[in-house]
Amino acid sequence: MTLALQIENLKASVDGTEILRGVDLQVPFGEIHVVMGPNGSGKSTLSHVLTGNPEYRVEGSAKLAGTEILGMDVDERSRLGLLQAFQYPTEIPGVKLGDFVREAAEERGLDLDEVEKRIAEAAERFGMTDFLDRSVNDDLSGGEKKRSEIFQLAVLGPKVAILDEIDSGLDIDAVRQVAEAVEAMRSPDMAVIMITHYARILRYLSPDRVHVMLDGRIVESGGPELAEQLEQGGYEAVRARLGIEAPKTPEPELPKASDFFTDTPFDR
Amino acid sequence: MTALDQISVETIQAGQPDWRAAQIAEALAAFHAQEVPSGAEEEWRYVELDFDLDVLTLAADPGPAMAPGPFLKTALDGAAGRVQIIDGRVVDVALESADVTVKRLAEVDRIETAAPVDRDKFAAAHLAFATDGAVVTVRPGAVVEAPIVVDVQATQAGTITFPHLEFSVGANAQAGLIVVYRSPEGLEAVVVPDIVLTAQDGAQLRFMSVQGWAEATTGLAHQRLQLGRDATGRIGEVGLGGKVARLDLKVDLEGAGSSAEVVGVYFGEDNQTLDYRMTINHIGRNTTSDVFMKGAVEDHAQSVFTGLLRIEKDAVRSSAFETNRNLVLSENAKAHSVPNLEILCNDVMCGHGSSVGPLEEEYIYYLQSRGISRERAERMLVRGFFSEVIERLPIDTLAEPIEEAVFSRFTQAQEEGRLS
Repeated sequence: MTLALQIENLKASVDGTEILRGVDLQVPFGEIHVVMGPNGSGKSTLSHVLTGNPEYRVEGSAKLAGTEILGMDVDERSRLGLLQAFQYPTEIPGVKLGDFVREAAEERGLDLDEVEKRIAEAAERFGMTDFLDRSVNDDLSGGEKKRSEIFQLAVLGPKVAILDEIDSGLDIDAVRQVAEAVEAMRSPDMAVIMITHYARILRYLSPDRVHVMLDGRIVESGGPELAEQLEQGGYEAVRARLGIEAPKTPEPELPKASDFFTDTPFDR
Repeated sequence: MTALDQISVETIQAGQPDWRAAQIAEALAAFHAQEVPSGAEEEWRYVELDFDLDVLTLAADPGPAMAPGPFLKTALDGAAGRVQIIDGRVVDVALESADVTVKRLAEVDRIETAAPVDRDKFAAAHLAFATDGAVVTVRPGAVVEAPIVVDVQATQAGTITFPHLEFSVGANAQAGLIVVYRSPEGLEAVVVPDIVLTAQDGAQLRFMSVQGWAEATTGLAHQRLQLGRDATGRIGEVGLGGKVARLDLKVDLEGAGSSAEVVGVYFGEDNQTLDYRMTINHIGRNTTSDVFMKGAVEDHAQSVFTGLLRIEKDAVRSSAFETNRNLVLSENAKAHSVPNLEILCNDVMCGHGSSVGPLEEEYIYYLQSRGISRERAERMLVRGFFSEVIERLPIDTLAEPIEEAVFSRFTQAQEEGRLS
């Protein structure tokens, strides 16, 4: 059976620093997988490399529903069915959310009547109705941005959804809301990869598999119970159990979206 | 035809009333006393004027009128009045509103100009050589919904012409005026418009200019907005044409409680220079101003924005903001952006922001991650960039053709591979 996502020996480096050191991961359709790991373990790099961020030098293989996606342009992968909900969604001045998802849907060749229906439903469901006529992510709170990401995914219907720290910066009610939304998206035609460093969202979600990422590799995989173990023992316990030494040099700071912003107080 | 420099004061004074003859003599002396400005002067930095003033002549008679283009057609639809100025001469006036009067310079006993004669050689030339022009007045208390449209054309090669316009909105009246500048393709000429906008106490004035000079035409405009007590002035500037197209704009917030907004959009291509110099002068107390200008340059074009917010000693509780954002779309294109503050009063709120750069890769990445191609992402971003400013133009009837003109410049550059 074709896997939704099959990653083999995926390596990635930025400015000569290797961040992913051979990731292997298999995600079947219909499943929700969680990738957990401490800051700097390479989780966000994994999602950006899959999305196709050109800043990384990449080797290895990543297949989306059987098709190799490494080397494809960002938009091509996306149209093939890969969609990421970003940890730091970018504010796009002047581009309205409604127009944006409509154009994106059009480029994916979706039926436009169907798209309007989905927009209306998803906007209602995720409380985005009032935001459709506003610029994408402009002036939105952290929680609203995350909801906007989920909304976009719900309309565009990915085969593989990568949720990068979708629970960060959210209060407990919002975390539950997002978790419920993810569960509601579960379908036999889609796989979800949720990247997080807190177990708290897993209280409201039933993942099929949990993977632990350390130093740019997936070092352990298991069922939901693995998340509970992590909650109690932390990542140091995983190191001790598996005999993985902590890297001698501290991990480099990963680039964040906020590093690229050039906001001034007079942006509008 | 006699070159500008050889014209005697008597020739210009002929047939003029005494007050005007004296004014002409003074202006002509100021004209002769000044050099053609060059990029060496701070006020003209980055600007290169490549015409020879000695060989330019005044237009003897107005040339044949050009057929209306897309901007004029749209603007004229339902307009409250129309004034046509060709080669500096008023050739046609048609009014639909009884609240509006139009006089020609020969009918008035006082000429106002946007800039004093010592501002630069062209300001002096305007006052010396402008023999015709339109003075548009709106009756106090009148509300004129539809805009008055002024069609300004330059049609004769080798000429320098001086379109003159004064627009005065009476106390507590509301009115708008659109100027559309045009010249036939390839026309090498210099045009020195001078526009004085006056909002009397409590008046609401709206003004827009759509600068669509041909690419060989040079336009050097002086413009001033003066505001009475509690008056509001909203200005929209659209810059598309011209070899060198300069706007020297001064806003004087004289009356207490007056407010001004200047919104602009420009897009330079080829070797164009689009040059915006603004001074916003807060004189009265409790005055507010907001400048919001956005532009793009591609190919070898350059744009200049200098904006000085000046708050005078007595302008307490005033607020002044200015934003200038520029997209630089080609390697050899340049945008210069210099916002400035001069605050002589403590109790004020001021701020400025400016940016110059290419389309944000971060934005493109985000749009692409939703499956939108790079080309389409760029187009969406450019449309979005300009829509923010086009939506704020004071007269919305031209929003569509303006967006179309700006956007088609971008798509053309994109299709022809000039973006980098």
